[in-house]
Amino acid sequence: MTTPTSPIADLSYRHYDGPLNPPTFRWWCIAKASMRMNVKKTSFWAYGTISAAWYLVMAVVLYISATFGPSGMSQGLGEVHWRDEFLTAFGYSQLGLMLCALLLGAGAIANDNRANALLVYLSKPCTKLDYVMGKWVGIAIPITLMSAIPAIGFYGYCVASFRDVGFPTSPVLALDMLVLSLVPGILHASLALGISSLFRQGRLAGAAYAGLYFLSLFFTVIVGQILMATSGHVSGDVVPANGLLGNLYYCSVDGIQIGLAKIVLGVDGSRALLHSPFSVGIPSGWLLLLFLAISALACWVAWVRVRAVEVIG
Amino acid sequence: MRTGKDTARGSIVRQVRHAASKVCGVTVASISGLTVRYGAFTALSEFTVDVPEGCTGLLGPNGAGKTTLLRTLLGFLQPASGRAMVFGHDATTEGQTVRQKVGLMPEQDCHIPGMTAVQFVAYAGELAGMPPSEALRRAHEVLEHCGLGEARYRKVETYSTGMKQRIKLAQAIVHGPRLLLLDEPTNGLDPRGREEMLELIRSISHGKGVNVLVSSHLLPDVERTCDRVIVVMGGRLAAESSIKDFKRVDGHPVDVELREPSAAFVNSLATRGGNLLEVRRNTYRVQVSGTPEAVSRTILEAAKEAQAQVRGLTPAERTLEEAFLAAIHK
Repeated sequence: MTTPTSPIADLSYRHYDGPLNPPTFRWWCIAKASMRMNVKKTSFWAYGTISAAWYLVMAVVLYISATFGPSGMSQGLGEVHWRDEFLTAFGYSQLGLMLCALLLGAGAIANDNRANALLVYLSKPCTKLDYVMGKWVGIAIPITLMSAIPAIGFYGYCVASFRDVGFPTSPVLALDMLVLSLVPGILHASLALGISSLFRQGRLAGAAYAGLYFLSLFFTVIVGQILMATSGHVSGDVVPANGLLGNLYYCSVDGIQIGLAKIVLGVDGSRALLHSPFSVGIPSGWLLLLFLAISALACWVAWVRVRAVEVIG
Repeated sequence: MRTGKDTARGSIVRQVRHAASKVCGVTVASISGLTVRYGAFTALSEFTVDVPEGCTGLLGPNGAGKTTLLRTLLGFLQPASGRAMVFGHDATTEGQTVRQKVGLMPEQDCHIPGMTAVQFVAYAGELAGMPPSEALRRAHEVLEHCGLGEARYRKVETYSTGMKQRIKLAQAIVHGPRLLLLDEPTNGLDPRGREEMLELIRSISHGKGVNVLVSSHLLPDVERTCDRVIVVMGGRLAAESSIKDFKRVDGHPVDVELREPSAAFVNSLATRGGNLLEVRRNTYRVQVSGTPEAVSRTILEAAKEAQAQVRGLTPAERTLEEAFLAAIHK
C-alpha cells in the first residue's frame, strides 16, 4: 500500500498522541468549515455584489450629485429622507441575499444526506445539536455580513460626505442597520436549513426554497394589487398595515424582512426617492412573532430530520 | 509544542500499557445484559460480551444484530436494559467521550461534499478535537499511510471505490482512536485492493496499540486480520473465543497424515483404543484419549506396528466457515 517513491520516509502507522480538545463547541468547527468552503465560491461574491448593488448605485449618484451637479442639487440632498433610503436599499438587497441563501443553505444538509456525511459528523464527538447549529451559523453569519457590510459602508460614506447636508451623525442608524442585518441571516438560514433537511439533493432543495420565496412573493404582491384596485386606493397612497391588504403584504419571505425593517427603522418607505408600487404602513409586533415562529419551525424541521440512528446500516 | 521525544515516549507508554493490559486481560468494551429494541422488534437480547484488546471479528448473518451492536457502542441507541461500556465510559450517557476514543469506518461510502481528501481528513480530525494545525499535519500522514498520498488534493467525489474505502479508513484513524470499528472494510474492493486493505488493517491492529472490531461477512477477511471472534445470532451471543479455539474440534482429535493409505494402521489404532472419525485420502482424523504426549506415543506405535510412515501429526481443526456454521446452528 505504500510506495517507495513517497516523499515521506516512514509510512508505517504511527499513533496520534497529541492534544485533543474536549468535545464542546464542535458547532463552531462545523460553521467555520462551511464558511471557509463557501467564501471560495465565485458565485458567493457575485451574489454579494448583487445584494450591495443599490448601496453602490446610491453612493455613485450621491457622489456625482455632490461633486459635479449644480449647487442647487447639493442643497437638495438636505431633503433626502435617509432612513427611507436605507429601507429601500435593504429591500433591493433581498434578491441577492436570497440567492446567497440558495447557494449556502440549499445543499447544507441535502448534499450531506446524499454523500452520507452524517456518518462522518455523528461518529465523531459531535452531537446533533452541534451539527444543526454549526450548519445554521455557517449560513447565518455570511448572509448577515453580506447585508451589514454594504449598509455600514454606505453609512460611513454618508457620514463622511453628507453630514453637513443633514445626514444624521448619531450612530443609531448604523446600529439599526446592524440589528436589521440579523433578520435576513436568521430567516434565510432557518428556512434554507429546514428545507435542505427534507431532501437528498441540494438542487431539489434549492428549487423548493426558490419556489417558496418567489411564489409567496408573487402571491402576496399580485393579490395585494388586486385588492388595491378593488378597494379604490389611489396609487402612491400609503395603505395602513391592518386588514387583509395591509397584513397580506408582509406574509412572504421578502415581506417579513421588509416589515421588520420598517419596524426597526421606523419609516414606511413612502418618502424614498424611488417609490415602491404601493406602500404599506409599518406593521405591528405580530410580524416579529411570525418571524420567530417561522424561523423556529424551520429549525425544528431540520432538527427532527437529522437522526443519528440512520447513519449506520 | 510537542517534541519528537514526547511523541516517542507517548508511543512507548502506549505500547507498554497495551502489553500490560493483554497480560491483565483488560477489555476495551464491556457489554452486559444489553437489550435493544426497535419498537416491538428485539435486535439484541440480554447480550453480554467483553471485547478484549487486539483485533476482534464480529461475525453473524444478516439481521443478527451486528450493526445494532456497533450503533450502541457509538451511543446512538438507547438500550431497553443493560449497558455498553467503552474504555470505562457508558456509551449511552457519555457518547461524546466514547466517540472521541473510537473511530468508525462505515460500510457505506461517505464524505463531505466539495472537499479534497486532505481537507476532508483534516476536517474529520478537527471534529474529533484535534487543533487545526495538528489535524492538517496528521491528515497528510494518514493519507500517505493509506496509500492516497498522490491523490490527496483531488476531490473525494472523483475517487474510485477502492480509494473511497481507503479514505474512510483515513478519516477514522486520523485522531488516533484507541478502538476502531470497521464495518465491512473490504466491500467493493478488487482482489488486490482487498489484500492491501487487509494488510493495512493488520498493520494498524498489531503492535500499534489500536484495538479493532471488524464486522464482516467475509470469513477469510476476519481470519486474516483478527485474533478473536464474536459470533452474533438472533441478537444473542452465539460464540466468543480466540480464532484458534473457535476452530478447534470438540474432543481434541488429531489429524494423522500417512505416506499412503493404510488399513493396518486403522486396525492397530483400534486395538489401542483409538477411534477413527474421518478419512480424507491419506489423512486420518482419529481420537485417542490421554495426554498429548500419550496420544502421540499411541499413534506412532500403531503406525510402527502397521509399518505405515507418518508424514504429519497435527491437532484437528475446522475451517472458520465450518466453525461459524456450527456456532450459528447450535
